Amino acid sequence: MVKGPYIGYILGDLNYRREPGMSEAVDLATVEIELKLDWMNRQGEWQTHAKPGKSGLTLADIQIGSYGETPEISDNMTGRPRGAQARPGSFRIGNYSVRTKNEIWLENASFLYEEALQRQWSSATDVPWHTIEPLPDDIEEAQCELATFLTEVEFVAGDVPARWISETTPDYFEPRNVLLAQVMDEARHMDVFRKRALANGGGLMQATGGTAGVVGSIDLARDFTEMSSRLHISGEGAVLTIFRMGELMAYNDAEKAIYRLCAQDEARHVAFGVMHMRYMSEEAPDRHEEIECYLDEAERQILAGSQNPAGNQTASSEALAILLGGGVAHYDEGFRKLMAIRRRQLVEYMKRVKSAGFGKRFENGRSQVKEMMAVSAA
Amino acid sequence: MASVFPSEDWFNEVRSVFNSDDSYRGAGGGSCECRSAMKIGRRVFLLNFEGIECAPVVEADKGALADVDFYLDMPLADWQAMVKDIAANGGASLHYTLNTLDLDRAEGLSHSVHEDQFREDLFFRYNQTFQFFFDASARIKTSFG
Repeated sequence: MVKGPYIGYILGDLNYRREPGMSEAVDLATVEIELKLDWMNRQGEWQTHAKPGKSGLTLADIQIGSYGETPEISDNMTGRPRGAQARPGSFRIGNYSVRTKNEIWLENASFLYEEALQRQWSSATDVPWHTIEPLPDDIEEAQCELATFLTEVEFVAGDVPARWISETTPDYFEPRNVLLAQVMDEARHMDVFRKRALANGGGLMQATGGTAGVVGSIDLARDFTEMSSRLHISGEGAVLTIFRMGELMAYNDAEKAIYRLCAQDEARHVAFGVMHMRYMSEEAPDRHEEIECYLDEAERQILAGSQNPAGNQTASSEALAILLGGGVAHYDEGFRKLMAIRRRQLVEYMKRVKSAGFGKRFENGRSQVKEMMAVSAA
Repeated sequence: MASVFPSEDWFNEVRSVFNSDDSYRGAGGGSCECRSAMKIGRRVFLLNFEGIECAPVVEADKGALADVDFYLDMPLADWQAMVKDIAANGGASLHYTLNTLDLDRAEGLSHSVHEDQFREDLFFRYNQTFQFFFDASARIKTSFG
């Protein structure tokens, strides 16, 4: 046992000496205790020497030895960091429902997390707000309508992954970290569209109700993969298209930057969903039919269009058409552009599902997306 | 002396500007892992990003398009119009950003041979990096042969 100076009032097992006439403060500074130092026992894997790569010291660079091993099933209910030794008798601090690897895993989670960290941006200083100038009333109203809708949507897109983070064992910290970064992204999206609505003489419009239906129902998912197929594949895939359209129809450099940077973030969230679904395709054949059902449901909502602002006949789709056309007077031209981009959105959706390993549904008649596209083109 | 667009020299001069300016690492730029190609008329230039840098740009034949995540394809005159717009404005103006060129053209700008949307989506995921790269061309002298 080692002896050393310590603060006396913390511990009871002290061997200290008091000089006559010394104050208590001096006494505490000179107290001697016996240090146990049993925490210094090297209980885990030691002698790890992680080396930075071209992108710095990333999570991928520290997947060394047992620290890189992810359990197929986790019994970790105590918040213990993966690779650390368990503490006997520790309390359960998490009631994690996601404790099976293939419920949440994807191969590139650590890569997406580093990408999210390194490609952050500030809605306060990276958007050239000074370039915004007064716009015609119908254009400003359409921008504010879209900004209101997107603020609502991003509210859900932040809430939903946040709930699943707390449900997931710390052993699967890589996907957890990506979701944590996504919550930050969504917070920024919420604030940047709110800022846009308030930056140019307009304001927020009436709540669109977009989050009351399909978007809101994402939060009703009882399974992570169900949630991810709704949120990352169909929901964020659609919003990615809206952001790209937003960049196309921007009336100033500030709006260009807003939509372009949001699209980058959204594409990363979509990549999470595609890679998770690809993992499920390869590692969980017993769940394929279940996932096909999630996609059936997602496609019904995409095709109905009532909750998809790039769909038909919604306040948000009217706003998009007005922006794309250049005003109410050019609505028809804007609507034609909107439909062309919507067809492209559906093609991209199908190719993502194919990339995720579930492309047969577009060949065996299960999916109606191709038929919908043919009707739309006619 | 002005570099001729398109040429390896032109791309590598832009690359030097891009790699040496830290401001391109923030504001939505930053780490980028992507293999892309610029198809300019019939000519193909490989543009690979590794970490925070762009690798040396080389000209290749059309067969190289099979190996990239995505390629941007426009007729020479359209590429020249974009580069001229960037030079005139210090960066792409509203009608010449890469995303706008992609959506505003019936045939699109971004393509792939493999048709894997996960890889094609890298154009969206790293869009600001590619925009920064081409906007950096405003800082070199360009001639159009």
